[in-house]
Amino acid sequence: MATSVFHQPLGTAQPHQHLQNSGFRQEFGHASVKLTFKGFKVETGLSRRGGYSSCKRKFGVIQASASHTSVVQPVSYPPNNSTDELRKKSSEAALILVRHGESLWNEKNLFTGCVDVPLTKKGVEEAIEAGKRISNIPVDMIYTSALIRAQMTAMLAMTQHRRKKVPIILHNESEQAREWSQIFSEDTKKQSIPVVTAWQLNERMYGELQGLNKQETADRFGKEKVHEWRRSYDIPPPNGESLEMCAERAVAYFKDHIEPQLLSGKNVMIAAHGNSLRSIIMYLDKLTSQEVINLELSTGIPMLYILKGGKFIRRGSPAGPTEAGVYAYTRSLALYRQKLDDMLH
Amino acid sequence: MAAGALHRSIRTIQLHGGSNDSASTKEFGNSSLKFISKGFAVDVKFLSNRSRSFSHCKMHVIRAISSHASVVDPILSTSHVTTDFNQNTSIESSLILIRHGESMWNEKNLFTGSVDVPLTKRGIEEAIEAGERISSIPVNMIYTSALIRAQMTAMLAMTQHRQKKIPIIMHDESVQAKEWSQIFSEETIQQSIPVITAWQLNERMYGKLQGLNKEETVVKYGKEKVHEWRRSFDSPPPNGESLEMCSQRAVAYFKENIEPQLQNGRNIMVAAHGNSLRSIIMYLEKLTSQEVTNLELSTGVPLLYIYKHGEFLKRGSPVGPTEHGVYAYTRNLALYRQKLDEMVQ
Repeated sequence: MATSVFHQPLGTAQPHQHLQNSGFRQEFGHASVKLTFKGFKVETGLSRRGGYSSCKRKFGVIQASASHTSVVQPVSYPPNNSTDELRKKSSEAALILVRHGESLWNEKNLFTGCVDVPLTKKGVEEAIEAGKRISNIPVDMIYTSALIRAQMTAMLAMTQHRRKKVPIILHNESEQAREWSQIFSEDTKKQSIPVVTAWQLNERMYGELQGLNKQETADRFGKEKVHEWRRSYDIPPPNGESLEMCAERAVAYFKDHIEPQLLSGKNVMIAAHGNSLRSIIMYLDKLTSQEVINLELSTGIPMLYILKGGKFIRRGSPAGPTEAGVYAYTRSLALYRQKLDDMLH
Repeated sequence: MAAGALHRSIRTIQLHGGSNDSASTKEFGNSSLKFISKGFAVDVKFLSNRSRSFSHCKMHVIRAISSHASVVDPILSTSHVTTDFNQNTSIESSLILIRHGESMWNEKNLFTGSVDVPLTKRGIEEAIEAGERISSIPVNMIYTSALIRAQMTAMLAMTQHRQKKIPIIMHDESVQAKEWSQIFSEETIQQSIPVITAWQLNERMYGKLQGLNKEETVVKYGKEKVHEWRRSFDSPPPNGESLEMCSQRAVAYFKENIEPQLQNGRNIMVAAHGNSLRSIIMYLEKLTSQEVTNLELSTGVPLLYIYKHGEFLKRGSPVGPTEHGVYAYTRNLALYRQKLDEMVQ
């Protein structure tokens, strides 16, 4: 059945090989990503320009200046067409990381962890803001945690997206859930963005601290212990997870499920939490445990990475007033944006 | 474990009598509902108004006057809370039904059914509006379907609620999910509103029509067939549910899980879908199958019922410009509102 195909490639994606014979198909028209279902193969028409390098140490961090389209520098590689390395190099995929905004317990200053607390009005606004910032960046798949605050953040953000594809949450919890959520129109499926929910992307589980306020906890356990749990890498609160433990399951999930999608050229958005996202960034940016402890992620300002040549290149700084000031658009992204502009006129 | 008790006391709610020992405790302060879990016994200090009539046919529809505070008599717990008889008579609980607003497939005119499609910007606004309308009506527990559009509607509506208790979604899809979402502070639990998600409250499953647009379907199956599926009581689309089948599972769920809570004096909000809510209303108001197929529920305007003496009294008309024009406050509701006003000064 066509719809079962829909489910399969998401769970167990293999990296697809892009055998692009000639490296220079300047298909500007195809710069947007098309998610077409052909059995189990998913092809993307995201082409790139420029040369292919087989060197694995390219860190092109290019800051875009305020006017978006005109100054985009191509990410340049020395033109080296070794075809055996070609497959991975030929696609560029965008990875957006969004940390959810204020939750009702943040507001009350309670340790939240994995308790499923929703957003405040402010959190809702932050999500919508975040959506505006990424409204021009292609999204083919969304991954969120199992908690409503991350799911809502993703759905709220996507209401602002210009592409107008419709996020559809996939349900796998039972045979019936799967059957009941089937879609029977090919056209409709093509206009859908699958949303996968995963507990592995949940916030770090805070054990016996969940629900306690910071004062209560300091009284109960002592100020130093609490500081240790909050700021160390590998010391868990009672019955809870350390940052290390959280990183283990989050990064494993990323590597097993999300990275293959990116490698096959799909653009992915991850809506999750402070600690699970830090863990992923630790992997993407190769940070040390000391560095990751000091990493603070702002809410409401999504981060953008481009996977290219098997490397993750950071293209957005978390602090920036406007979209243009935040993301360094690559040529492909700029083209995509242009296409959106054309579409909507 | 406290949180475990929280879970259990919700699930297996026994009919507790509102047995107030001394009948004349004029506990003004207690007229708002406190959700106190003491192991398995849940006390409801919701005191009710005089007339202990044991007749089941009390249909007083009292229209509240617009100036709320002055006309309210003290809720007298006086007299006759005779414990021998029907423990239900002294209890009044409110039931709010909210139908979610516009979803992204509504906007595109596609048959949605149980496909998990999120809200549009407009749907979000509708939810917030709905929340404003019920901001003064007590809520102790929330039931939603397994679909994000209903869950978001509930969470967005509650951001407007004046009581400031915090909805927490209960997770029991696995042992880990249960453990990970535990709360370790009694006080925090008391300030929480448990949210239960249930597939039985999902929208009617539309089988092979899911994802098709209305024209496509008419072309494929013929206008009459489609009209029949949409508007009949017992004729299901291929592989789908008829309204009858939908009511069966929705009303069964309501009777087994939600009604007992109401009988215990808990105020409930149900955020669900057109067909599942109609089914419940069919049960509440004892409609015929003809009447129910003609019943249209507006989105964004919640319905209010009061459960009293084992009967459901409709206290809100679906169409009304302002909150006052929509709900007929009972004395208890008016007191509750007064309390909120005082709290927020």
